[in-house]
Amino acid sequence: MPMMTAEQYEESLRRLNMVVHMFGKRVKNVVDDPIIRPSMKAVAKTYELAHLPEHEDIMTAKSHITGKRINRFTHIHQSIGDLVKKSKMGRLLGRETGCCFQRCVGMDALNALSIVTFNIDEKYGTTYYKRFLKYLEYVQENDLTCDGAMTDPKGDRSLPPHRQPDPDQYVHVVEERKEGIVVRGAKAHQTGAVNSHEVIVMPTIAMREEDKDYAISFALPSDAEGIIYIMGRQSCDTRKLEGDTIDRGNMLFGGHEALVVFDNVFVPWDRVFMYKEYDFAGQLVENFAAYHRQSYACKVGVGDVLIGAAQTVAEYNGAAKASHIKDKTVEMNHLNETLYCGCIACASEGHKEPSGTYNVNILLANVHKHNVTRFPFEIARLAQDIAGGLMVTMPSDKDLRSPETGRWLEKYLKANSDIPTENRMRILRLIENITLGTAAVGYLTESMHGAGSPQAQRIMISRRENMQEKQRAARKLCGIEES
Amino acid sequence: MKLRVGIKYCGGCNPEYDRVAIVDHIKQSLQDEIEIVRPESEDVDLILAVNGCSTACADLKFFEGLKIHTITNMEDSDKFIKVIRRN
Repeated sequence: MPMMTAEQYEESLRRLNMVVHMFGKRVKNVVDDPIIRPSMKAVAKTYELAHLPEHEDIMTAKSHITGKRINRFTHIHQSIGDLVKKSKMGRLLGRETGCCFQRCVGMDALNALSIVTFNIDEKYGTTYYKRFLKYLEYVQENDLTCDGAMTDPKGDRSLPPHRQPDPDQYVHVVEERKEGIVVRGAKAHQTGAVNSHEVIVMPTIAMREEDKDYAISFALPSDAEGIIYIMGRQSCDTRKLEGDTIDRGNMLFGGHEALVVFDNVFVPWDRVFMYKEYDFAGQLVENFAAYHRQSYACKVGVGDVLIGAAQTVAEYNGAAKASHIKDKTVEMNHLNETLYCGCIACASEGHKEPSGTYNVNILLANVHKHNVTRFPFEIARLAQDIAGGLMVTMPSDKDLRSPETGRWLEKYLKANSDIPTENRMRILRLIENITLGTAAVGYLTESMHGAGSPQAQRIMISRRENMQEKQRAARKLCGIEES
Repeated sequence: MKLRVGIKYCGGCNPEYDRVAIVDHIKQSLQDEIEIVRPESEDVDLILAVNGCSTACADLKFFEGLKIHTITNMEDSDKFIKVIRRN
């Protein structure tokens, strides 16, 4: 089964026995839970589109290890073209779902490991790369969704892992056995965790020898014994409990994050990809982060939806011809396409690593993600400006349906006489959803902090800015002789 | 005998028009002249590369040696219909 359908994916999740908690209770049926299900449907879209002729060119790839046609989310990039298609896939899926579709993070973990396991072997004569390829084949053959788990809770930020008062603030090995290792700790902000078949754990920072017990990377089935998922709340999340009301904004899709606890979890050796090679922790973080910063191409697709919604509400309001509205939509498009430039550029300027995997241009990937920490906020601000205050003062779907109040809403929320009031309410709710509701988690705060907060990108930009060559160019033009 | 036309889409990351609707339009307009098949089908007479924009990035490596007609916008589809009818 090289590629699952959306239906097969959903059924595959039903076979998992994950320990998921939400609102203080164990979630017995994760797949059908009304809060979680829209996020599952968003991941399912990555399976559905892979089977459509009109999207397969982006959504699928040829496996470099089996030669079979596979879902691109399980692919190791074999060319610049692959990297470009990955960026395009992000935009496509962002636009199709209007939210975070969660599956990129596992793809980025796989690609980073394909580089770093090879490099560790080159230095230490270990066999991680062979082990990794066997695992990769398993993922590809079963078309699995993987959670790429990097972010530790981190405790006191001024202290390295080994000096934390609570040693579990970073995931670490607590026991070594003949058959494998036992790990303990947690990973925070795990996007799509409970929609994943596998969880791939990586260190979260560069490490020194004192932290070698924390310099570990491994993969586990998402329902392995000892893994506990505690779902994160999202603004307006309980609107999903109200049924198919227009107040949800996005009627079809959503995202989720969870705190993932590893409570003394056993990992067999064949699923361990880094074990105390602390000098490669930073390399794994850097490569994963670069790939994942490229992955924020998805926000361009969500931006497409938001811009489309803003233009639509302007037309519904009868304001679309106003010059300031036109100017604002131009600005929104300018910002959104600038983001697109970044994700295409870092892919187009990619390079081949010793393992054969193609990597993005790390400087440009960081520049792209740094723009993502800013531009969606301005696009959202402009969308709210165009939408008007009704977006947040509008009565509920139930009031629209009520025989007592519905007629007043029909009368007083009407704008363009050709447009049903309900449609105007729907598009306003969608803008609300993306800019301050459940989808704002993905479009705004995740844009800020996901794949590293702004300062992390500034550090990487400073490391790779190649200032000496810029200075040399300046000195040459004004006649300063090189000493 | 109808011309067997294999439709090869680009990935559709940011199409400037509805590619699927255009193919439906072509299919209806030429229902007596062409048969739409999967592009990798045997005995395909022509590949119609349906690209969402002028980047025209549909991967055509698999179809080397075959006759390929490329469309990148809605007007191109009408040109394709005329070409088929003329022939």
